[in-house]
Amino acid sequence: MELESPEQPKPAGAAAGSRRLLAIVAVIIVIAVVGSAAYILTLPPAVKKYPLELWYNNDGHYGATEENLATVLKSSIESCGHVTVTLKSDTWAAYKQRWAAGQMPVFLLGWYPDYFDTDDYVSPFLSTAGAKSLGSFYTNASMDTLINNEQVAITDAGRAENFTKIQNGLAADVPYVPLFSGVAQAAFVNGVTNVELHPVVFKWSIIGKTGFAQLNASTSDKIISLDPASAYDFFSIEVINQVFDTLLVYEPVTSKLLPGLATTIPTVANGGISNGGKTYTYHLRPGVTFSDGTAFNSSVVKRAIDRAIRLDLPASAAFLLYDVGALRADHKGGNNTVAGTITTPDALTVQFNLTSPVSFFNQLMAFSVAAPVPWTYSSTKEQPSTVGSVVGTGPYKMTQHTVNQLVVLQKNPTYYNAGLYASFSIPSIPVMGQVNINIRSSSTILKQDIETKAVDVVFRTLTPTDLTDLQNRATTLGITVKLGASPQIRYLVINQNTITDKRVRQAIAYSVNRADINRIVFNNQVTALYSMVPPAMPFASPVFQGAYGDANCTAANALFAKIGYGLMQPVLWIARDN
Amino acid sequence: MAGGRSLAAYIVARILLAIPMLIILLTAVFLILRVLPGDPILALWGGHTPPQATLDEARRALGLDQPWWVQYWNYLTGILRGQLGTSIGELYRGQPVWFQISERLPATFEIAIGAMLVASGVGVLAGVTAGARRDTKVDVALRLYGTIIWVIPIFWLGLLLQLVFGVWLRWLPPHGRWTGADFPVRVTGLYTIDSLLEGNFDHFAKAVAHLVLPSLTLGLVLSGFFTKTVRANMMRTITADYTDAARARGIPRRLIVYRHAFKNALVPVVTLLGLQFAILFAGAVLTEKTFSIEGIGVLLLNSITSKDMTMIQGVVVVYAAIIVVVSLVVDVLGAVIDPRIRL
Repeated sequence: MELESPEQPKPAGAAAGSRRLLAIVAVIIVIAVVGSAAYILTLPPAVKKYPLELWYNNDGHYGATEENLATVLKSSIESCGHVTVTLKSDTWAAYKQRWAAGQMPVFLLGWYPDYFDTDDYVSPFLSTAGAKSLGSFYTNASMDTLINNEQVAITDAGRAENFTKIQNGLAADVPYVPLFSGVAQAAFVNGVTNVELHPVVFKWSIIGKTGFAQLNASTSDKIISLDPASAYDFFSIEVINQVFDTLLVYEPVTSKLLPGLATTIPTVANGGISNGGKTYTYHLRPGVTFSDGTAFNSSVVKRAIDRAIRLDLPASAAFLLYDVGALRADHKGGNNTVAGTITTPDALTVQFNLTSPVSFFNQLMAFSVAAPVPWTYSSTKEQPSTVGSVVGTGPYKMTQHTVNQLVVLQKNPTYYNAGLYASFSIPSIPVMGQVNINIRSSSTILKQDIETKAVDVVFRTLTPTDLTDLQNRATTLGITVKLGASPQIRYLVINQNTITDKRVRQAIAYSVNRADINRIVFNNQVTALYSMVPPAMPFASPVFQGAYGDANCTAANALFAKIGYGLMQPVLWIARDN
Repeated sequence: MAGGRSLAAYIVARILLAIPMLIILLTAVFLILRVLPGDPILALWGGHTPPQATLDEARRALGLDQPWWVQYWNYLTGILRGQLGTSIGELYRGQPVWFQISERLPATFEIAIGAMLVASGVGVLAGVTAGARRDTKVDVALRLYGTIIWVIPIFWLGLLLQLVFGVWLRWLPPHGRWTGADFPVRVTGLYTIDSLLEGNFDHFAKAVAHLVLPSLTLGLVLSGFFTKTVRANMMRTITADYTDAARARGIPRRLIVYRHAFKNALVPVVTLLGLQFAILFAGAVLTEKTFSIEGIGVLLLNSITSKDMTMIQGVVVVYAAIIVVVSLVVDVLGAVIDPRIRL
């Protein structure tokens, strides 16, 4: 038997098999390489996307639509293809701290004016101090000068020129992207009259219901404080406006001022505004008393303003007096106003000597923080919001307050100005002897209230879906749903310290789609906003409409491409170039 | 005599055990609130930041400028003195914590008592029926009921009941504790009791009508647990030796079920009541929110969102105290019913 030698050549059949195997492997490799190349070449070009954090409030501060709003915004910004938006949210208490600490690059915010003047849509946002407190940290010396100029200008022409430049600057620098103005809303049963969606104050005192002594209403707003020196939230101010009068008040439908506790509106012409706009003189009505019987006079007015400034209560509007209103406070000297700032030449005259002219000081005097309070109010702390402690000169007095449940307003028998709206076909106010305002915990309950007619009027805040549903069934239910323009604006804040490149901010402005927001989130109930100054205000100019429009992806992407975000070259090209 | 002494010793032991339990809970709440990010003082002012001197003064006035251990000591000693402090949140700023709690506690109590009545009534009846008819169609249906109702979200059931009985049928007020401004004169704060005390039966009927839907909502959800527990106990007792013996003596089935099996099946249920009370209070938060009732559940919710540390601490202290007391009472009751517990 012969052993097989290792060197012995392989049989012809085996060699052919090896070659076939090699050939198959080679073909597979070629197919794989060609296939991979073809696949890579047909892939859409890789995109380097700009990462963006978008924050929103998640505990209902702006109602139940906030998450939807953030989602639609994310979708519209991402739809241009060059940005990845990450949504983040927090409760209101934490949200406020986050923006103050500059922790949110882009976030949703809303604004309801304090005093009804165009300045209140500009200076809180674009002045260096205001922008810091609102989390955009925008600072521009030219803008500060323009704002100062409009604040001190006494003529409309002077203000108009500055407001135009301010709004153009806003569009160029984009520290904010205006989105939409809110919708004012009320639903009421048929038979209720004079429900006016006033831009500043919802006037309960003019609402009537023939044949009834009481009006029942409900709201989902809450009362935080009924001390004018402390209140700085919508519904607290709403109740204060029924119980307290201010030196100047508003007409029943428009935002035009009328004399309230003062006899005339100070103007340059009548000598009420003097010293280059730095001195405002108010003559007071004689014989006015507070609902507790105590007297109203110039000393009371001075003491009330001094008190609000000195206390400077947390989250109050005192800064509108000492800062915005140029009354100044001596923070190192017990927070009091400097002697001579507020003077009382006689019992019925009060004079405010401002450190600089403030063109909208009359509007400040119509705001709740300036409401006179009686001497009985504590000079060292906030006045309790309980019955007997809330004392004003307004058409109503508060006779019951069950916290977060009910507030009852009854006609103030000592009210001095029942004929205030006589020339507006409302002979005497308050029309109803008693108004019971129920405070509800959700919008769902408001809807149930009006569906079951448990109340006569539902005021703020029904969801867009519920409003549409109620509108559709209004005839069947026997109710009226009233919608109107609200002075509230909603906008995106862009933190200048985080997003330093102006082109990124402008690209965001280009990619926002306001029509989608209105259609998807608000059932077409809101109005697109193209400036921080809403169209109903004097000097408004829709600068964002001309500069950016809506959903302009081409322009947005062009800007992103310039700063290195956008289309990248395919991998194979990079390899070849290298 | 020996039995009385052992019961007394049991009660003393339970009270002594409750003290460290409360201290641990209070410490945990104190630490958690301070570990969480955010400054409650800055939260008060929010966007408008006042001068630093104003912030410092506010911090000093609230004792938040002290080291944490000093704050902890003040907090514990304050509770011992019955002082829960003053609210520092946006909603209740400056108001005494105890005042806010005492204003709302009656509302929560009324819901809790109403819900417990519904839960125990429906749950026990369903459990006994299911246990006595094991593996029949009725048993299967009730077991399904017990499982499904237990997992239904409270707010969903609440909204459903509101829609059907409040909006469509209009049999009952869909929300709130009261309608109108003519509240009963406050004595206890419980509208049902206060209206009876003033002898006004219209008010009593109104108070009860407002209580029905929230109690039904919370009670029905909790009844699922009772159904399943009572059924399991019934099945155990109905097959026990003593029921066999009763059956052998020719005692009718109905008597065996209700006199022997049912009574013994209830003993473990009583001890579970304490645990259920804790769940009941947790459920009350959602029920109060759904029905717009200002109880301490909603107070806690509002305080958490506004980072009102003193109010959160106060509410948790009250919650803990109530649950400890209820657990104690239930345990003692259990020990009285079943002497084996205190052995």
